[in-house]
Amino acid sequence: MTRTVKMLSVMMLASSLVLAAGCSGNNGAANGGENAGTNAGTNAAEGSGGETAEKADILFWTPFSGADGEFMKKIVEKYNSSQDTYKVKLVIQPNGEYYKQLDVALSASKERPDLAIMHVDQIPTYQNKGQLQAMDDLAGAAGINKSDYVEAPVNYETIEGKWYGIPLDIHPLVMYYNKDLFEKAGITAPPTNRAEFDAAVEKLTDKDKKIYGYVLPTLWPQQFIFPTLVWQNGGELWNGTDVAYNSPEAVEMVQWMRGLVEKGVSPGNVQQDGENTLFLQGKNAIQFNGPWMKGQFDEAGINYGVAPVPQIGKAKQAVYAGSHNFVVPKDVTDAAVIKGIGDFLKYMSTNSMDWAASGQALASKPMLESADFIALEMQSNVAKSFDYVQFAPNVLNWATISDPIWGELSSALLGKKDAQKAMDDAVAKSRQAMKK
Amino acid sequence: MTKSSLQSRFTSSLFILPYLLSFCAFLLIPILYGVYISFHNFELLSDSHEFVGLDNYIQIFTPGTYLFEQFTVGLWNTLQFVIYSVPLLVILGLALAMLLNAIPGRIRGLFRTFYFMPYAISGSVMAVIWLMMFDTNAGFLNGLLASLHIDPVAWLTDLPWVWVSLVLTTLWWTIGFNMIIFVNALNEVPEDYYEAASIDGANAWRKFVNITLPSIRPVMLFIIITSTIASFNVYAQPFLLTRGGPGDSTRVLLMNVLDEAFKGKQVGSASAMAILMAIIIIVISAVQYKIAYGRKE
Repeated sequence: MTRTVKMLSVMMLASSLVLAAGCSGNNGAANGGENAGTNAGTNAAEGSGGETAEKADILFWTPFSGADGEFMKKIVEKYNSSQDTYKVKLVIQPNGEYYKQLDVALSASKERPDLAIMHVDQIPTYQNKGQLQAMDDLAGAAGINKSDYVEAPVNYETIEGKWYGIPLDIHPLVMYYNKDLFEKAGITAPPTNRAEFDAAVEKLTDKDKKIYGYVLPTLWPQQFIFPTLVWQNGGELWNGTDVAYNSPEAVEMVQWMRGLVEKGVSPGNVQQDGENTLFLQGKNAIQFNGPWMKGQFDEAGINYGVAPVPQIGKAKQAVYAGSHNFVVPKDVTDAAVIKGIGDFLKYMSTNSMDWAASGQALASKPMLESADFIALEMQSNVAKSFDYVQFAPNVLNWATISDPIWGELSSALLGKKDAQKAMDDAVAKSRQAMKK
Repeated sequence: MTKSSLQSRFTSSLFILPYLLSFCAFLLIPILYGVYISFHNFELLSDSHEFVGLDNYIQIFTPGTYLFEQFTVGLWNTLQFVIYSVPLLVILGLALAMLLNAIPGRIRGLFRTFYFMPYAISGSVMAVIWLMMFDTNAGFLNGLLASLHIDPVAWLTDLPWVWVSLVLTTLWWTIGFNMIIFVNALNEVPEDYYEAASIDGANAWRKFVNITLPSIRPVMLFIIITSTIASFNVYAQPFLLTRGGPGDSTRVLLMNVLDEAFKGKQVGSASAMAILMAIIIIVISAVQYKIAYGRKE
C-alpha cells in the first residue's frame, strides 16, 4: 500500500511539470478570466431619438505595464469625461505577457478587446491570419486622415491597399550621452558619423578611472542596434527572398563593434544590462537604447543628452524603430462600438500630449508640429530621425526566423566566434527555421 | 460490508473532492488537452487546427529539422543544469539542516528564517539581485576579487562560469525548501538510537552513515526527486541572467518550448516538446525510485 502511494506521488510530482510547460501552451482560459465582465456592450441612450448617437463601451487593451501606463490612463480618463456617449475601458496587460494574452483572447474570441495596441511589425502577421480589420472606413467616418501620420508606419501597415493600424508613437533607437563626461573630454557636440564617434569614444575612455567611451552590449538592445548598423552600411536583414545578415556589409559592422572591445573603448564580457549599469554609474559615456529609458535616467539624476544615433555605416542614415499602433480585431462588428473607436482615435490624434510626456515621440503630424511637442527637448530630438526610421522586415514569423541572430551575435561580440562564422551560422539556423 | 463502513467510506471520499476537482481542472484536463494539441498543427491565430498525428513528434526526432535542434540543444543544456545542481541541492540542503540543528535553539529559528527567505522571493527580484552580484565590470563579486588582486571573472558571459553562476543562484534561491524538509526529517530520528550508538562507541561519522542516513531515506528520495523535477523546469535563472548565452550554451529546454509556443505561435509542436519533456522526467523519477527501493522489495 505505502509503495503504491509513494509511486503515485512520484508520478504526480513528475506530471506537475506539464502544468509548467504544457499548460502555458494550452490556453489561457484561467488567466483571461480577470477581464470577464468588462466586455463591450452597447445600450441605447436613454430616450434616444434618431439623432443621438448610440452609447457604447470600448474595451481597450494595452501592454503599458511600466511607468507609461499612468500616462495612457490619464488620456483615457480625459476622453471619458470629455463626452458621455462612449466609455473607453482601459486594460493594461503585463508587457511581457501581452501577445500571449492577446493571442489567446483572439483565438477564444470571447474576451477579446475592441481596440488594442499592437507593435507595427506584428501587424502583418495578425493581418495575414485574418485577425484584424481594415480601418479605412472607420477612419474615414471619423475624419482621420492617413496623411496626418508619419509615413513609415503608415506604409508598413498598409497591406494590399488597406490600412490596418493607426500609429500612436514611434520609438527608434536613440543615443544617450553623459554630458559631464563629454565636457571633461572636451567634446562639444554629440557625434554624428563614424569618424566623430570613433574619435569621441577614444577621448572619453579613461582606463585608469575605468571610464569607457561606449560600453558594447552583447545582448538586448542589440535587437535594435544590429539592424540599425546593417542598414546604415547598405546591408539588409532580409533581401526579399532570404535572410541576408551574413553579407559583407553586416559582417563588417559586427567586426566594428567587436573592435570597440579590442581597442579598449568598451570593456569585454558585458552581461545583460551591463552597459546600462555603467551608464547609471557615470562610467559609460554613450549608450544606444530606446526612448523608454528616459525615466530611469531622470530618476538617477544623470546629466544626459539625447541625440539621433550617428551614421556609423558607410551607405546611408537609418535607424531601427518600433511603433505602437491602434488595431481593431476582425470580430468587432457592432456599429456603435466602431463609431466610438473612431471618435476616440480622432481625439487621440490631437490630444496625445500626455503620451509624449511619457517620453515617447508621437506619430501624429499635427502633434509633432505643435509648439507643446517642439518644446519637449528629448522627444523632438527623437522625432528628427522619423524620416529614415525602418521597422523589422515585413516577413511572416520574423521573430522566430531572426531569433538565431542574437545568440550568434553575442558569441561574436564576446570574441568567442569569428564574425563571419557567427553570421553564417545564424543564417544557417534561420534557414532551418524557415523550412519548418 | 456493513452500512456504517460504506457510509464512512462515502464521507471520507468527500474530503478529497475539493482536491480532486482542482486536480482535474488544473492538471489532468490541461495535460490531456496538451496531448490532444500535440497531435495537431495548432497555430495559435489560425482558425483551423488540422490533425497531423505524430508529425510533431516525428519532426522532433528527425535530425536536421528545426524542432530537432530546438529540442536536443535545449535538452542537453537542461540536463547539464540538472547534473550540476541536483547533487549540490541535496547535499548542501542536508548539510545546512544539520548545521541548523547543531546551533542553540534560541537562534536556530532566526537562521532558519534567513536561509528560507530567498525561497519566497520572485524570479525577477532574484535576477535583479544576482545581476548586480555577477556584473563583470561593476559587480560585487568582481569587486571583491579585485580587492584580493584576482582577475575579474566573466560570471554570466563565459563558460564554465555561467553554469557556476546559475547553480549558485539556484542554491541561494531554492535550497531553503530542501533544508526545511531535512530539518523535519532529522527531528523525527529517535534520540535513543544515537544514545545507544554512543554507548557502543560510535563516532559522529558512523552515527551519520548508520543512523541518520537510513532514517531519513524516504525524505532523501523525496528531495532528490523534487529537486530533479525543479531543475528540469529551470527557466527564470537562465532567461533573466544569461538570456541563454553565451551563444546558445545556457538555452534550456523550457525557453525553447515557450519560444515555440508564443514567439512562433506553434502550440502544437511546443506541446509535443513539453510532453516529451514530461515523459523524460517521469522516466528519470521512476529510475530514481527504483534505485532507492527496487532492491529491497
